Amino acid sequence: MRYSQLINLSRHLCKLLLSVAALILFTATARKSQYSHLKPTTGDINCIRNFAPHFSNTLYSASIDVTTHHFSGILFFKLMPDSSTRVVFTNEMGVKFFDFAFTKDNEFIRYYVMPKMDKKVVVKALHNDLELVILHQDLSKAVLLTDSVYNYTAIPTPKGKNYYITDKCSKLIRVEKSSKIKPVVEVQMLNYTAGVPDSISIEHKNFKFNISLKKIDKE
Amino acid sequence: MATSSSASTKCLTLTHMHRIFLTILIFCCTCLQAIAQHTGYKPLANTDDFRKQFAKASQSTQSIQCDFVQTKNLSMLSDKIVSTGQFWFKRDNKVRMEYKKPTYYLLVINGSNIKTKDGTKENKVSAKSNKMFDQVNKMMIDCVQGTVLTNSSFTSAIFESPSSYLVELTPTTKALKGIFKTIDLIIDKKDYSATGMEMMELSGDNTIINFTHKQMNINIPDAVFSID
Repeated sequence: MRYSQLINLSRHLCKLLLSVAALILFTATARKSQYSHLKPTTGDINCIRNFAPHFSNTLYSASIDVTTHHFSGILFFKLMPDSSTRVVFTNEMGVKFFDFAFTKDNEFIRYYVMPKMDKKVVVKALHNDLELVILHQDLSKAVLLTDSVYNYTAIPTPKGKNYYITDKCSKLIRVEKSSKIKPVVEVQMLNYTAGVPDSISIEHKNFKFNISLKKIDKE
Repeated sequence: MATSSSASTKCLTLTHMHRIFLTILIFCCTCLQAIAQHTGYKPLANTDDFRKQFAKASQSTQSIQCDFVQTKNLSMLSDKIVSTGQFWFKRDNKVRMEYKKPTYYLLVINGSNIKTKDGTKENKVSAKSNKMFDQVNKMMIDCVQGTVLTNSSFTSAIFESPSSYLVELTPTTKALKGIFKTIDLIIDKKDYSATGMEMMELSGDNTIINFTHKQMNINIPDAVFSID
């Protein structure tokens, strides 16, 4: 192959690469946020605090599916004297998987994680998921939006927003943790009795990591 | 010179005294620790006799059916989670543990096969495919069959009270050491059968299982331990 042919080939390759890069850039910028239709509205931001579960000493039967692994056991929520909420997960045979706390200012404390489960990505996901349920989050930067049917209380996070989706704030429809453009986690908290939901489900949209909780009534 | 020698002797005596004092202190601490760990128990003087009797009684146990109460103590929370259910054992290597409250959970061990079932899912595994399962499986079988004292996954120490023996098992394998500090097995002095066990976790929590309404050597159909 001649030198001039080589030059031509490399020019073509450069053009092709530039076109691909431009296409990728265009596609990325053109991806519209699934929340772009929401419009600002007025209302009481703090009303979503009504949906923060009033855990005192509450047990849930727990089922956790992570990719191909299935865990079951008991998830225990306890309100501590300093107003923090402690969350402990043990299997049915009593072996503890994790023990976390969320202070009243939403600071996350990890007391214990079983060595086999102690992976940064797992702990981070559990932290984020349980934070959505416990709702100790700071609402000072939250904004109220609407899609004309539901209200969306949007709390900014480092990578997106947490949306608490309600009617006019008498019922919690669902909670969504979102990236810049789409929901990545969806939480349902259903059938509140005395401020505590009877069932809680947490579903990750990008990978299989689902948590299902059913309240255990004490005798 | 005399002064120097005297000082040296004095120094040696002090060092010697320190050593004696430290030895006594360590001995006292060890004793206190043993007493503190197992209130009402003292170290057993003749362990050989116990081992023989325990093995002999266990050999004659063909089956066990009983109820159990499991109490999970969360050390940092001073809270308890109490579970109840039924337990079955049949020689060789068959165990069924069925939790009924506060939530349903089934564990069946049949040889090297394990089945678990909770409110939503059933799971079957071969203990051989999972080191942790294999060792927990072996530990449970050994505790019930009375062969735990020869299980190389543990070192053991034996204590006694007027009515029972306490076998303290300390894990030696990485898989079990990652969860349990010790596992105490309580053996009835009357018939050398296990009346309970206490699993101490590294986190400071413990789980106590007490066995009640024991029926020994009754006929239990193999279907109770079916994995299918």
